[in-house]
Amino acid sequence: MNLFRPWALFSALALFVLLMPPFAVAQDDEDAAYEALIKKGKQYYDINCRICHGAKGDGKGFVDVIRYAEKNGRVIETFPRDFTFGVYKFRAASTGCLPSPEDLQRTIKTGIDRSFMPPQEKISDEELRGVAEYVMTFSARFEEEDLCDVITAAKPDYVGSDKSIKKGIEVYKRMKCFECHGDDGKGNGPKANEIVDDWGKKILPFNFVAGNLKRGSSAENIYMTFTTGLDGSGMPSYEDSLTEEERWNLVSFTLKLMGLTEEGGKEH
Amino acid sequence: MKRWLLLVLIITLILPASAFAKRKKYEVVDVENGGSIVGTIKAAEMVADPMGKIETEVPEETKLCGGEFKMNKYIISADLGVKNVIVALKKVAKGKAMPKQDLTLDNKDCQFHPLVSIAYKGSQFVIHNSDPIFHNTSLGLMMKGKRSTVYNLALPIQNTTIKKPVRRTGMISVKCDSHKWMRAYVYAAKNPYVAVTDKNGKFEITDILPGTYKVMVWHEGFGEVDKTVEVKAGQATTMDHTFTKP
Repeated sequence: MNLFRPWALFSALALFVLLMPPFAVAQDDEDAAYEALIKKGKQYYDINCRICHGAKGDGKGFVDVIRYAEKNGRVIETFPRDFTFGVYKFRAASTGCLPSPEDLQRTIKTGIDRSFMPPQEKISDEELRGVAEYVMTFSARFEEEDLCDVITAAKPDYVGSDKSIKKGIEVYKRMKCFECHGDDGKGNGPKANEIVDDWGKKILPFNFVAGNLKRGSSAENIYMTFTTGLDGSGMPSYEDSLTEEERWNLVSFTLKLMGLTEEGGKEH
Repeated sequence: MKRWLLLVLIITLILPASAFAKRKKYEVVDVENGGSIVGTIKAAEMVADPMGKIETEVPEETKLCGGEFKMNKYIISADLGVKNVIVALKKVAKGKAMPKQDLTLDNKDCQFHPLVSIAYKGSQFVIHNSDPIFHNTSLGLMMKGKRSTVYNLALPIQNTTIKKPVRRTGMISVKCDSHKWMRAYVYAAKNPYVAVTDKNGKFEITDILPGTYKVMVWHEGFGEVDKTVEVKAGQATTMDHTFTKP
């Protein structure tokens, strides 16, 4: 019954005022820092990314399709990525998972070979974090879902050895990689012309003699592609259907197909 | 001592606003004397089920898959009940527990089985390949003719099984990138109030807390409609729908 006595109310309010502000201030600081980062990211995006990826991040900027012909005459069509789906090929996480901020930062910084996504060599660390954070705001997935465990790739010594290449050839056959990528890896298998991406656009399997892989051509990057798949494209994940050793042997054979004896290409 | 009571009271009143503002989650409560929704989904007239075509350059696939197949897109009974319609309550805040029920999707005879099904958030997709050929199973949330990949899994070897948690929710289309004709549909539900119609077009959804609900009615060929249904305690509400031409 004494709850509403002046002293009780007063001391409760006094305690409340004393206790709450630190929490509130800490939260405000965090929010303000995030807002500043997003602002910085948007600034950079509007100048450097928006022309292709659009103001809404839906890939509908001023640049639409980009076509180029490979040496063998095959025409590749590339569209600026639509960020509103929250689906990304290059992640250090299983199929179905979101990319981490680090995954996005890596792609922004290094660019994507054969796709007209240029590297951002002069971007500052703060801008890089800001752009990655800003790109995430285009899809609600980043608010709704938690990040998955990070997958790491530690290249074993045998990668690139003759024995490993031989085992890799066997994996390539058994896993039916040739159905899309062709017997000689030129992207001309019997299923090569049937594949569409998440946006309903026709896509072609990689021709291993046509240059660098989009993710990068290091042994680790090739291993990552087999493990995580390239979500949104036709390339599935082999994380559950191949052992790590089988995947590394397949890396050996892939490097051989690409003419990269041990490890090479552009590091991504 | 009493001032502490008041303090606790004030803090508990203020805290939830910030702590629970972020995500809306389905809340499980005891449902006593709940209501139910029953109904029949019909077609205005009989629709012929089209034949699907199998086109492949791989000889062993032609042998296994054949050239044509019954699509089972329109399975309509003599009194026009439509099978394989998904009926789902949307934006349900609370109710009965989610069933612990995994969904097995089989790649068999160059088709997915089942064609239309339900998966529950928190349970698992169990994806299997019964065929002696390469399949990949790609699940994607349907987005106005496009899709957003949920999983893309390689199952190159006969009798491979892969389990994955049901995380993202909504209408999912299932495809195999190397066999264009293969298809299936899964409704990944975040509440347990979902049903697929039987061969007579009938469905029943039980143990619903009284209230007004938005109900999605979806069919591969006829499309999607939203209905509003009022559920009363201990009563069965009838919700029928007739699809006109696809």
